[in-house]
This record gives sequence, C-alpha cells and structure tokens, in this order.
Amino acid sequence: MPKKRRNPWCLLPLSLALIAGDIPATATEKTVTFRSWSPIVETTNQMIAAFNQKNPDIKIEAKIFNYPDYLVDLQTRAAGNSLPDIIGLEPGALTQQYKQFLLPLQDLAAKVWGSNWKEKFYPIAIEQARLGNAKEDENFYGLPVLTQTINLWYTVPVFQELNLQPPKTYDELLKIAHTVQSKGAAALLVGAADGWVRRDIYMQLIHNIAPGLIYKAEAGELKFTDPPFVSAMHWWKRLFDDGIIQPGALGLSAYPGSMELIEAGRAATFPMGAWWMQQATRPNPPPLSKGLSGFAPVRFPDVTGKGQPDDCLGGIDVMFGISKSAKDPEAAFRVVADWIDGAGAQALINTFNDLPAVKGLSPQKFETENEQRVWQMLVNDWLPKVKYARQLQKPEVKQAFEDALAAVAAGELSPEKAMERIQTAADKVR
Amino acid sequence: MVVTRSSGAGFKPNSPRTRTALRWNWDFLFLIPALSLFSVFVLYPFCSIFFRSVYQWDGVNQATFVGLKNFIEILTRDYGFWLAMRNALYWAPITIVAQMIVGFALAYILTSGVPFQSIFRAIIYFPAIVSPIVVGIVWQRIYNPFGGLLSDIGAAWHIPALMIPFLSDPKIAIFSVIVVNIWQWTGYSMILYVAGLKTIPEEILEAGTLDGAGVFKRITRIIWPMLRHVHLTLILLGIIGTLQTFPIIYVMTQGGPNHATEMLPNYIFTQAFRLQAVGYASALSVILLLLALSLSVFQMKVFGSRFAT
Repeated sequence: MPKKRRNPWCLLPLSLALIAGDIPATATEKTVTFRSWSPIVETTNQMIAAFNQKNPDIKIEAKIFNYPDYLVDLQTRAAGNSLPDIIGLEPGALTQQYKQFLLPLQDLAAKVWGSNWKEKFYPIAIEQARLGNAKEDENFYGLPVLTQTINLWYTVPVFQELNLQPPKTYDELLKIAHTVQSKGAAALLVGAADGWVRRDIYMQLIHNIAPGLIYKAEAGELKFTDPPFVSAMHWWKRLFDDGIIQPGALGLSAYPGSMELIEAGRAATFPMGAWWMQQATRPNPPPLSKGLSGFAPVRFPDVTGKGQPDDCLGGIDVMFGISKSAKDPEAAFRVVADWIDGAGAQALINTFNDLPAVKGLSPQKFETENEQRVWQMLVNDWLPKVKYARQLQKPEVKQAFEDALAAVAAGELSPEKAMERIQTAADKVR
Repeated sequence: MVVTRSSGAGFKPNSPRTRTALRWNWDFLFLIPALSLFSVFVLYPFCSIFFRSVYQWDGVNQATFVGLKNFIEILTRDYGFWLAMRNALYWAPITIVAQMIVGFALAYILTSGVPFQSIFRAIIYFPAIVSPIVVGIVWQRIYNPFGGLLSDIGAAWHIPALMIPFLSDPKIAIFSVIVVNIWQWTGYSMILYVAGLKTIPEEILEAGTLDGAGVFKRITRIIWPMLRHVHLTLILLGIIGTLQTFPIIYVMTQGGPNHATEMLPNYIFTQAFRLQAVGYASALSVILLLLALSLSVFQMKVFGSRFAT
C-alpha cells in the first residue's frame, strides 16, 4: 500500500511559530509578558517556576536585559506601542517618563490584598513608589518589589588580623588607612569609574552633614552652593587627598573591577548596599563571600563630630508596573502580586538579591550565622528606619553630580566651583 | 516578462531603446530589496534625526518644538561635546599613524622570511577578533594602579612610570585608551600591509637592490610609495572607526573622568538613554552625521581618484 504523502506546506505555520518562539497559548492558558533589567535571568526563572507551581494557567514570557539595553528597549517599545504587560521600573524619573503608558495599580492592589494593602510594605517603599508624582496625583504606577539600604561594608578577616574596630568616625577611618596600607589593602576601596558609586558616597556624606537637605535643593528651595553641600564636597575630596580611597579609583569600575579586589581581601571597607549579600549565592563564591562569612555592614563614618545618623539612605531598588496595553491586567497583577509577597517573592528573596519591599519575608536558608545576623540587621534595624532616598529625582542633576564629583576627585575643579556647576545644571532643568 | 510600452504604433520590439527600457525595469525590480532596506535602516533614521533634532523630546512623551536651540546649546555651551570633539582630534591621527607605522613594520618583518611568521601573524592579529568589551575589561585591570599588572611590574622593577593612574587622570586617560585601541587594531593594519607587500613585484625590489639601494632606501623609496592604496584604505577606515568608537570607551571609562575620554557616540548614548534627552541627542547625531559626510566628501575629493590606482 502506498504511503500517504503529507503536504509539507501544512507544517509551515508551526515551523514559523517555533522559529519565532511564539507557540500560541492554549485556550485556558493566558500569557503575560515581562521585561526588566532586574532581577537577573536565573532569579527571574526561579520566580516564574515558583509562580507557575500554583498558577499553571498563566504563562510568563520574560526577557531580562542589562540596564542600558533595557532603557533602549523600553523607549523603542513605547514608541512602537508594543510594551510588555509587566515592566521593570525605577522610582522617580523613569516611572514618570512612562506613566502615560502605565496602569494605576492601587485598585488592583486593594482587590488582592485588601484596603489596608499599603501596610504590607515598608514605609519608605510606599513613599518612594510615587516619587515625582504631581501633588494631586495619588496613583501608584508601579509597586515596589525590592528595597535596599546603602552603607559601607568591612572585610572581617582584615579587621581581625589587624585588631581593628569598624570605623565610626572619619578619624578612625583615617587610622585604618595608615594601618592597612602596609598590608596591601585599601581603607575604602571604590570603583569610582561608575557615577552611581561616587554619588552614593556623596549622598552619605551630605546625609551625615545635613539630613534631608539635598532633596530641598533639588526641588529649588535651597542652593547647591550653600555651605553644607560645599562641605560635603570637601569631605569627598579629603577621602582622596588623605589616601583613604585607593589610587586610581576613578579608573576602576564597581563591577567587576572593585568586586574582584574586594573578594580577594584587598579592601578594609567598601561602599555598596544591601545587595552585596547576593555575592554569597553565586556559584562557587570566593572564600570571603561563601556564606557571607567575610563581610559585615557598617554605617558611613561620621565626619561632623556629632555622631553617625541613626538612619541609612535607601529605598526602592526595583518596582514593577503594568502597561495599559496589557491584554489581561488582572492576570498581570496576579504575577506582580506573587512576585511581591507570594511564592515568587520567596524565590527572589532566597537569592539575597536585595531586601524585600514587604514586611515578614525572609530567606528560607542561611548558610552561616553571620549571613543571618547581617540579614536581620539590615531588615529589622536599618530598613524600617530609612527616611531618605538614595536617589535624586532628576537625571540631569544626577549626571551633574557624577561629573562634578569626578572633577573634584581628579583635581580639575574646586569643591566650590563643582557645586556651582551642579547648581547651573539644576537651574537649567527647573 | 515586463511589458513597458503598449504595442501600438511606433513600438519597435527590437529597437535598442526598447531593450534598454526593458532592462532598466528588470534592474529596478532587483534593486527593490536593497532600496527597501536602505529606506528603512538608513533613509528613515537619517530623516528622523533631522526632524527630532529641533524638538525637546524624551523619546516617549509629547515633544516641544525648540527650533535651533539644541544646536546653539551644543555649539556654545556644551562642555562634554567639545571634549568629545577634542578627543576625536586626538584619536584619529594618533591611532591612524601609529597603526600604519607599527602595522607596516610588523608586516615587513613577517614577510621577510622569519621563522614561524604565520604563527606570529596570527598572534598579532588575534586582538582584532576579540570583543572590545573583553578588551576593555582586561585593560582596565592591567591599568589599575591598585593591584593592576602594570603597577605590580612597576613596583617590582622600580619603574614609577608604570604606576601612574592611567585611566583616572583626566590629562592622560584618553591617551591610555588610544593605546589600547592601537594595540587591538594594529594586527588588522598588518594584515592589509602583508597583502599589499605581496602585490609588489619581486623584480622591482631586485632592480632596486642592483641599483645599490639599501633596506632603508628600498622601504622609503620603493615599498612605502607602492603601498599607497593600503595607506589610503587605512586612513579611510581609521576616520570611520574614530567616528564609530563606542564600546571600548563605554567599558573602560564610561567617557570619564568628567568627560575626559568622551567620544561623540558615547555622548549621544548618554544624552538619549541616561538623560532622556532624545531631541538633544538627535541634534548631536546630526552634527556627527554632517561631520562624517564632510570628511567623506573631503576624502573622496583628495584621495578618490587614487584609490583605484
């Protein structure tokens, strides 16, 4: 009996769908698309798997980029009206730029979590989620997923070996600099080629000198040329002049440049945030990072003589919004809600990617006592006290700070001139 | 078959004019794919940046017409732009001349019968096939005065010149990056020169030797002038490369410190995607485009006829 021939053309649609990776969902299965720069791909896959265990009816198509590529993708998709259902956002400028495409989420949040849903979150997370909104605009265009603090970390074995205590004042940091130099370590190892690292240090200095003042200057209520801001810039300069920050810092990137030196034990202290905990969860971490056994957080040393502030700077690391073009906003919100405080959130927190946005979440497993102690310190002692944002709102002012800080560190500008430049940039965008 | 005219009075199917018309139409059909791609990926962006350059626009929301304000701002007050222009003026001549001289020297040595010359050529060419991202990361470590390779060598052999902050001193940072660029692309120049050297007839060199020309004279009077087409190609590629420089700067310095290593493509990227100033970045792109066009026209005028010879 002759074999029945199949028409090869009937396979064409299936082949095309396979090539495009776009097999249509079954009738009962909904598809939710997600694009972001954070969390990383491996963590996102774990979050999807955790969500799908209880929600097999929703298929999540995720794509994770590095941050600059993500901005390009987002801008292109917004222009082409093809935004994904769930969008990774930063509070402030980025969210404000895209808010016309974003669905207000407060009603969906109330539907899922009840009318007092805001109480689930740490106060700073709720406060910053609406950063940059007009006064009358009460909408939440994104909900926080991860939060963070910024601080210094110190390398425990370096301190133990030299019988040092974590620095509480600038003078103590200076003494550490004199002690650790002979051991080939830096008192404060900084990957200052990255603008955000320079800004983080300045923000901690000005927070020490005059808490909350910088946000008023950004809003135009004060001048960046006022004495406290100039003073903070002088302290920034001193960190270089006194040899506290290692030579060549402006030419070293934070990742992977400074990270490798830190994990090799070449740093007495270094400026990172709560996210540094995730170093322990990478495959085959170096000995210092294994179980976070070699590192512990410490507040930025006091430069005023009045003591360190009781609070750290911090706030939202990443938040998720839902685009107005989402085919099924309720399905998309089920995903977002799960990633904020459900099984997906647990998978996310288990990676120590950063701190949770909601209260009561904790990793299911700690490798060492130090890791657990650090987590509890960050989540229970530091995060609830965060009052002020790590970030400024306006990209132009942030960029002006990054440029000015580099110019001062390189000796190209005096602190006074640098602050004048920042004021000029701030005036221009106002 | 494409019929180009109705077969009425006066239509002569075998006339040369009809054949030309028919061929022209067929030729045009074959051009359509290329023209479509050109329109979408070149013509449209070309027109689009001109259009966007007169707006204040964040790339997403409503744009505001500002006329020539972006251009005036760039040309009169933009510190980053002028540093990028200065750096391009450093970058192009230094890289082109250095790559030509070193590339030629290597090519000459490696075509003169030294042992293992194919292996040496492969080793010298190797950096050209490595991603600039990898090159940038590795060289940032090599340059780092705190635990970097050069610094450690300098400390061990007491050479202070190797322990300087290569990338963090604004006065030398751009030259440090240029050195890396030269290191990466000299192998490419060498390969072009090797190919060029092989086209020089052996008899000419022998005649030169018989006339008493030494190595230096043979190189300067015979070989170097006969490689004119390679020199011109390298100059053209060097200028294009300068205007396209992006990844090595992005990875090694991010244009810093304080724009000291800024190049125009990096600055456009920063404006468009970090500062959400797409209109301003479009104006910068227009300037880059005009610069590239002017240089191309200049090169065609000056070198155009000599490329073929």
